[in-house]
Amino acid sequence: MKEGKMIAMLLAGGQGSRLKLLTKDIAKPAVPFGGKYRIIDFPLSNCSNSGIFDVGILTQYKPYRLNSHIGIGGSWDLDRRIGGVRVLPPYTSEKGGRWYKGTANAIFENISYIDELDPEYVLILSGDHIYKMDYSKMLDFHEAKKAEVTISVIEVPWEETSRFGIINVDDTDTIVAFEEKPKNAKSNLASMGIYIFNWKTLRKYLVADEKDQNSSNDFGKDVIPKLNDDGKKLVAYRFDGYWKDVGTIRSYWEANMDLLSQDNTLNLYDRKWKIYTRNRHLPPHFVACNASVRNSLINEGCFIEGDVCHSVLFSEITIKPGAKIHNCVVLPGAVIEEDAVVYNAVIMENVVIKAGSSIGDAEDDNVYLISKSKIIES
Amino acid sequence: MNNCLGIINLSEIDTNFGVLCQSRPTSMLPFGGRYRIIDFMLSNMVNSGISGIGVFTGNKVRSVMDHLGSGKPWDLDRKLNGLFLFTPTYDYTSTYKRMGDLDLFYQNSNFIKFAKQEHLLLSKSYMLANIDLNDAYWDFVNSGADISLVYKRVTDDSFRYIGCDKIYLNDNGTFKSVGTNLGKEDTFNLSLEMYFMKKEVYFDILFEAIEQGSANFLKQAVFNLLHRYKVHTYQFDGYVACINNVRNYFDANFDILNPEIATELFFKNGQIFTKVKDEPSAYYKDNAHVKNAFVANGCQIDGTVENAILFRGVRVEKGAEIKNAIVMQKSVIRRGVTLNHVILDKRTRVEEGISLMGDHASPFVAGKQSVISKEAL
Repeated sequence: MKEGKMIAMLLAGGQGSRLKLLTKDIAKPAVPFGGKYRIIDFPLSNCSNSGIFDVGILTQYKPYRLNSHIGIGGSWDLDRRIGGVRVLPPYTSEKGGRWYKGTANAIFENISYIDELDPEYVLILSGDHIYKMDYSKMLDFHEAKKAEVTISVIEVPWEETSRFGIINVDDTDTIVAFEEKPKNAKSNLASMGIYIFNWKTLRKYLVADEKDQNSSNDFGKDVIPKLNDDGKKLVAYRFDGYWKDVGTIRSYWEANMDLLSQDNTLNLYDRKWKIYTRNRHLPPHFVACNASVRNSLINEGCFIEGDVCHSVLFSEITIKPGAKIHNCVVLPGAVIEEDAVVYNAVIMENVVIKAGSSIGDAEDDNVYLISKSKIIES
Repeated sequence: MNNCLGIINLSEIDTNFGVLCQSRPTSMLPFGGRYRIIDFMLSNMVNSGISGIGVFTGNKVRSVMDHLGSGKPWDLDRKLNGLFLFTPTYDYTSTYKRMGDLDLFYQNSNFIKFAKQEHLLLSKSYMLANIDLNDAYWDFVNSGADISLVYKRVTDDSFRYIGCDKIYLNDNGTFKSVGTNLGKEDTFNLSLEMYFMKKEVYFDILFEAIEQGSANFLKQAVFNLLHRYKVHTYQFDGYVACINNVRNYFDANFDILNPEIATELFFKNGQIFTKVKDEPSAYYKDNAHVKNAFVANGCQIDGTVENAILFRGVRVEKGAEIKNAIVMQKSVIRRGVTLNHVILDKRTRVEEGISLMGDHASPFVAGKQSVISKEAL
């Protein structure tokens, strides 16, 4: 074991069913975000920028798009001779084939992969969240506290505590109790689903958890509370940057809109902490003479002749003359034809909005998800 | 096109570009918001299925190395074939050294000699086009010729192509001769400096020119001996920009504001690849007012931009006004600046209250990392 060595295990098998059509064909980590990225780019870039070069990615739900996005990890500088990205799907063994039953079970099934790398620490990440974080600082904290487990936490507004896994700490930030989506929370520190474990300890608990018939094989529900019950030292690492779990269509739309605010705290333009993604080698976008673009993010390959206001446009989108897009997230390849008007919508990949059509209203508060076959309000 | 080796010779004229080519060859001039001139020829070759490419870098090596690296963006980082770079070498053993690039080709003969490919495509980078080289190659192979020259029939009444090579054909369309354009004819066949050649013919020409001391440049050696071989020609009729002086460079950049030309140049026979910078999307702020512009990723715009090419990571602050301009990578245009007919090289900073005016025929050019402020003036 190399002293202090940490590897990352990235859980990317979730469906994210509340995102509805957005995750009909792809896993939640592969959902496009922020004009050019997919959600998984954030944890992957964080790993690369934090100097973690062994990243196991656990896939399960519709992994095709995710697999081709990740490839051998070259986009994140993770195509390495030593270490690098490994995609770890469920597999069959002499006991037959089986799916990952829960987050802890997914890691349990890959014990031999981790043993081979022989790390001192294992960083468990979720591929569902949008944030920029230096994991090496979290590891420094973990080592300084001599903890068995460090859980990254963020302060959430008190009225939203019932949506999160809440963590109660004492005055040294040592964890004393967990509350899963509590009605009356005693603390407003929410778990971010980012854990550092001492591998030796975690390994024992994973094996024990697997034997426990009553366990749901989940880190948050089973493994971590068990560690706590056994009196192991669990500490909370406070994070105060931007962090978002886009669970629903509305929060997905809002998170994209956040990027257009001047006081947005997720700075994508920081060259010291770039977010990387697979490059599509498209030319710059073109804004024509009669076009108007304000308060928007526009990606490569777009062709804009219409009016774009307060919107996020992914790549290769065509906005025809007279078309108006307000408060929209437009995914790659969409075409907005002449004089079509769209307000407050997520327009999915390659959707064509027919000339003259009108969706949404400047006045109402609905958010629309527009796919090739239908429009969903939310 | 597995059987064809690509050669790109970057020893091109760079004296017509002033500060823009102070530390880079013509082939490394930024173009079209995110590319370099050489990206087009490299991508043409790769898109046509050429997998072994030798680049003769010319003297300004740093810029070339920095951009090309291992050749990864062009998929040329491979075990079999891939990208080969040939830099100038110092050779103290020879008592005299010739001008020109011929010696360099001779010194690096082995690369071509031991390559498996039987055909060569010799080219330069300054004729910017998106061309289907596959078609040109098979036309050459099927013709049974020793050499094939690619040309475009052009009408030039504004002397864009002075000094370029032109190709004369017989009445029946066969090759007659090559010459230099001095502007006496409006319509002629412009050589695109792409020559397909059998490998043995290449070595015949190279060795004879060295032995007899009859040429300094490879092109010169080829032209001297054309009469001895069966020469074929291939006509290309797509868009070509000849980047051989600042004016042509300026115009070619603005040509891509014509969507038809942009579509042809960036997509027609395959995508153009370049070094990846991982910039986020361009951010248009509340006061952005952009018309007729090509804007690359990483830009942050809060001012007025008209008829302009903004490269990756350019910042335009509130109230700045940019017209008819090429603004390269990571330049910053501060509040209240006015620019018209200018080319700003990489990382230029134009401070508050400055106004810079060039002219279409002679744009104002600021060199790399210039700081233009009231104090500096």
